[in-house]
Amino acid sequence: MSAASPTYSATSGIQHEEPLVFEHAHEAPESINLPGVQADISASLQAFSRQKEARIPGLSEPETVRHFVRLSQWNHGIETGFYPLGSCTMKYNPRVNEQVARLPGLAHIHPEQPDDSVQGALALLHEVQHWLGEISGLPHVTMQPAAGAHGELTGLMMIRACLDARGETKRKKVLVPDSAHGTNPASAALCGMFCVELKSGKDGRIDLDELKAHLDDETAALMLTNPNTAGNFESDIQEICQLVHDAGGLVYGDGANLNALVGVARPGDMGLDCLHINVHKTFATPHGGGGPGAGPVAVNDTLAPYLPVPRITKKGDTYHLDTDSDSSVGSILGVIGQSGVFMRANAYISAFGKNHLHQISQDAVLNANYVLSRLKDKYHVPFDGLCKHECLLTDDLQTKHGVKTLDIAKQLIDLGFHPMTVYFPLIVHGAMLIEPTETESRETLDSFCDAMLEIAAQCEAGDTQALHDAPVKAFRKRLDETKAARNPVLVWQD
Amino acid sequence: MRYLPHTDSDRQSMLQAIGADKMADLFADIPREFHIEQGSLNLPDGLSETGILRKFTKAAEQNRHAGNTRCFLGGGTYHHFVPAVVDYVISRGEFLTAYTPYQPEIAQGTLQALFEYQTMIARLTAMDVSNASMYEAATATAEAALMARRVTRKTRTVIAGSVNPRYRAVTENYLSRLEGDYVEVDMGHFGTDLSKVIAAIDNTTASVIVQYPDFYGTVYDLAPLREACDQHKCLMVVTFSDISAFGLITPPGDFGTDIAVGSGQALGIPMAFGGPHLGILTCKQKYLRQMPGRVCGLTDDVDGKRGFVLTLSTREQHIRREKATSNICTNQGLMCTAAATYMTLMGDKGLETVAKHSAAALELLVSQLPSHVQAASGAHYNETLLSFENQQKRDAFVQKARENDIFAGIPLEKMDKHAEKRHLLVATTEMLEKEDINDYITTLEASA
Repeated sequence: MSAASPTYSATSGIQHEEPLVFEHAHEAPESINLPGVQADISASLQAFSRQKEARIPGLSEPETVRHFVRLSQWNHGIETGFYPLGSCTMKYNPRVNEQVARLPGLAHIHPEQPDDSVQGALALLHEVQHWLGEISGLPHVTMQPAAGAHGELTGLMMIRACLDARGETKRKKVLVPDSAHGTNPASAALCGMFCVELKSGKDGRIDLDELKAHLDDETAALMLTNPNTAGNFESDIQEICQLVHDAGGLVYGDGANLNALVGVARPGDMGLDCLHINVHKTFATPHGGGGPGAGPVAVNDTLAPYLPVPRITKKGDTYHLDTDSDSSVGSILGVIGQSGVFMRANAYISAFGKNHLHQISQDAVLNANYVLSRLKDKYHVPFDGLCKHECLLTDDLQTKHGVKTLDIAKQLIDLGFHPMTVYFPLIVHGAMLIEPTETESRETLDSFCDAMLEIAAQCEAGDTQALHDAPVKAFRKRLDETKAARNPVLVWQD
Repeated sequence: MRYLPHTDSDRQSMLQAIGADKMADLFADIPREFHIEQGSLNLPDGLSETGILRKFTKAAEQNRHAGNTRCFLGGGTYHHFVPAVVDYVISRGEFLTAYTPYQPEIAQGTLQALFEYQTMIARLTAMDVSNASMYEAATATAEAALMARRVTRKTRTVIAGSVNPRYRAVTENYLSRLEGDYVEVDMGHFGTDLSKVIAAIDNTTASVIVQYPDFYGTVYDLAPLREACDQHKCLMVVTFSDISAFGLITPPGDFGTDIAVGSGQALGIPMAFGGPHLGILTCKQKYLRQMPGRVCGLTDDVDGKRGFVLTLSTREQHIRREKATSNICTNQGLMCTAAATYMTLMGDKGLETVAKHSAAALELLVSQLPSHVQAASGAHYNETLLSFENQQKRDAFVQKARENDIFAGIPLEKMDKHAEKRHLLVATTEMLEKEDINDYITTLEASA
């Protein structure tokens, strides 16, 4: 708890402390005006009336706005500044996308309205469904999964169903590189399968001998991310897919890194059977402080019969939600999907079109390699060569000065940048994974690189105290995570 | 391209700095046969901002929506009031365009909003703790079943037939690849015959899942279920499809519920043709460490100032990998901020008013029904089932209603394929006025 606060709250210039809603002292003002039928409820319902108040305080409209606007000012977003989180693809989220998703004819339609009353919405969803198939080279797409991890689960369910249909019920082993996202093994476990970790080769890529050694008649699938989480393309991809297929397994692609390939190359052409796409990464739908996202899954002909229902289909000139399918894995969400997210994704792809789409990955890859080229002499680069849309560094050169990745990250905050992804992937010590995305200017990249070089110089000069103290300019200094976990307080008690 | 800051000369000089001649050099690690020709994808050409607006406006105009009709559709999604302030707050770039708050020093806004959200949800449901959201109600129900298996180390799941068929389907799907039985209990004719559910519980049962108010909108006493759960050491899981009910009726926590899950879409979030909505997951404090998903907790910074962090991450996939409590990573974070803003605007009084108006609208409708239509019996919140003589009569009414700009309800078989084709699931909210109800009844009378 903070010390007794004075009656004014500005901290530096006009930045305010703001109490919790529950700490605002006065009684709730008169209730907000609401429409509706102002009559009695039934006697039978009255018998179930709530006995104890919920104690949700209720503030007037101006106080509510001020409260949440003040909170917002303690946040850093893409609109505030550079956000180079590796594997997260924090690109600019165009404002027109927000505008179109809020059109009443899209925002206020009920998911159970008859198909003939929602043809416009279905057309937009069907269009983006087709585009995702085209971009991935995997033509059949389900729009149901609500996020990337949900897409992984869905993809593995389809792989399971396909193997079962082949009579291969004992195949339960999922091979996962040790560089994979943590969601991969967690999704496999949910699907009743188990993971075996593949040790990455010296170049951070999949080691073909290691892969061969693990492929057998119990192998259900290989889950891979390409480019991998070190930012490198798996150049042996065709051979990898062939090996897995020859062993009777299927290849699942984690599409978290699709931003390196959009309009340039297609996972489906390389032999993958299945790919989930994080539209909140590649197609610029806002991350919202943790979500919502969407994780549509694109598959080839092999897996198409097992797609979840409902499916968005087109017959003649009309669009339908089809629920009939004997071989489908069933439904994985209560509604058709995160439609509002797809409206934004549709608008993003619409803005580029086929004539500009490749510029997404070209500029993303250009920016990552530019950052790499500026930093590679002062930071350790674990895997040489070109990177794709993100570059991986470590703190190897800084640790001898007592400075760790975490210190570098926190110092970046004081210099005005959101830190990169830290300590991931797990295959190198002190990982710093930097993904600039295509929507950053050279000016921004240069100022970030200057900041990184300044930190490296501070380390070399032994002038490191500031790095350990950082951040000192943020709204809060380093927070005690151990305390939060040891004695969890998740709700306010007053 | 307007979203890309580089000019061609920027690109050229950056390539030079990298030591590359041309853009293609940066993709040399992708085997040549996989390079696709620029512009060869089957997509239209790019649109200007005006072009995008025109395209979407045209598509949106083809849809009927709750703004130009009267919406009596429910089944898990409801047309409640969305205050302008909620949309404004979540449109702020600092909330909208932030990532998951893994760097807490520069994400205190998101984190405090999450902490307020968790507190308000816990209070509204009368549960001890809430997480920081699930995708939506069906997956939240499935996650509750999985959580109960971890808590009890038992594998049998009993679910009432009066749970939303979509929630049942997803739960069954999630459990179907794991060991253990999944048992659906038929509760009779749209009944709330809890004794049938109770009879299905045995000592191997991990959880029993009921919906409250149930899929048909019925409100009923859950106390007998608590007793049965205690007897068999199984967890009592309550799911709900419209959290606005708890502004008015006894919330799940007051029945001793172990895990309460459901939809928070009513809390200032538009229907948006299916989402993004808000999945809620709450539980008793003692089950905290088996909870799926992210949670925000209170702590201090090094100066002793109050702050918030994501906590208990040792449950989560990025640390625990295959042993994680769930695979969920990205959730519905922004919708938590929306719900927190909404509840702050409403307070207890506003939430009660929303619920009263929603229930009063249903009561007004049911009390005026002509004799050829029957409503389900018992106490109902804002949803009920209307039964017609036959499908033909029901469909004729639904069609007539549409001509009067009324979406009259969801044909039950659309959500529950086993249902007789003469029922209509009807929901009301505070967005309906007395006149709308009267029009509904008039249309119903005319279609007798």
